[in-house]
Amino acid sequence: MTTALPTRLRDGALAVSTSGLTKRFGDQVALNDVSLQVPMGAVYLLVGPNGAGKSTTLKILLDLFRADKGTAEVMRLDCRTRAPEVRANIGYVPERPDWGYSWMRVGRLLEHHAVYYPSWDASYASRLAQKFELRLDRKMGVLSKGQARRVHLTMALAHRPPVLLLDEPTDGLDPLMRDETLGVLADHLAETETTVVISTHHVEEVERLADHIGVLRNGELRAQMSRADLDAGLRRYSVEVPEGWAGAPSLNGTVLRRVTAPREVQWTVWGQEKEVAQQLASSGGTVREVVPLSLLDATLALLNPND
Amino acid sequence: MLISLDPQDTRPIYVQIVDEVRRALVLGTLGPDDPLPSVRDLAVKLRVNPNTVSQAYRDLERQGMVYVRRGQGTYAAPGKADGSQRQTLAEEVARRALHDAWRNGLTASELIEAIRSEDHKHPTEESL
Repeated sequence: MTTALPTRLRDGALAVSTSGLTKRFGDQVALNDVSLQVPMGAVYLLVGPNGAGKSTTLKILLDLFRADKGTAEVMRLDCRTRAPEVRANIGYVPERPDWGYSWMRVGRLLEHHAVYYPSWDASYASRLAQKFELRLDRKMGVLSKGQARRVHLTMALAHRPPVLLLDEPTDGLDPLMRDETLGVLADHLAETETTVVISTHHVEEVERLADHIGVLRNGELRAQMSRADLDAGLRRYSVEVPEGWAGAPSLNGTVLRRVTAPREVQWTVWGQEKEVAQQLASSGGTVREVVPLSLLDATLALLNPND
Repeated sequence: MLISLDPQDTRPIYVQIVDEVRRALVLGTLGPDDPLPSVRDLAVKLRVNPNTVSQAYRDLERQGMVYVRRGQGTYAAPGKADGSQRQTLAEEVARRALHDAWRNGLTASELIEAIRSEDHKHPTEESL
């Protein structure tokens, strides 16, 4: 049995799913055969370096981009043929909040936005505006990145959509406002049945909210799993080895990283802890430490194996 | 009872919450029949997923440390600040110390010896 990195979740109702999504921009492949599975009610962290295809994926869900191949669904609605309904089900915070409306005042923009969403909760919107310290009389065009982000968060949350797509939601926020935003999101999740997809490279900022993770690199989904599975399956093993050690037998797992020093090796392995530790020990090493990884370290290992 | 999470702790968050509640029960900062914070309030305070708090509360209920009054909330079970919880807590502390000792290439007896001698040098309240 080999234990490859999982890229498919076990069965269950999905709020967002894509199948074999492929997208090219010219001769550049932005997405290659991406099959995303976001369970109903999950907080799914889509991580990856810049240019990995995170924003492209979200934009295909919103039908702002069209895939060359594959399909996408949100709440069982096809993103392409039923785009207006799909968008009504989504609260979206774009990565770059610079689309139009720069001449509009914040208060006016919120009113304008409310008209499009029958489920708009005006009292919730004003509570959010207060928490986010929005200045309703300012024009969108003069706002800082962080201020604009907070306007978009308000617009995304206040109609309590079944699905939130948040593209770098904490980017540009000062530490206080970032903390406030995480509190607002936790509160929102407790109050409203919501599925959230957060695209980010600031993993450590949102890690306490996440219960699923998908790792994108160069347009490919390298791994996709629940947090519980990740917590159970990924470990770093510190092993003391004799001088001139011949090396471990083939491990029953996926070796993501191996760092060697004289008489010492550190392995980051996806596999069964007992089995892997036993195999390392029986090859003459002394397993000094087996530790789970923080989500950030786990992400780095998944993104950047073998270095 | 004040619950806080250690950012350096890589154990699952629900496990950390369970341990914090156990600690509060043993220390007495959470008394018998005291209410625990609501799932929503604790999730907001800790900035964690409310499902994680629910999971911790379910686990605490399963272990008999808390009970749920339908529609009212979660409360500390009486008679839980007893020996068995102290024992569980002590085992957890011992496990952490042993883990650290092993990582540093020390044996259990070296560790125990060092604890005795440190306790002798800097007596804790209890051993005075």
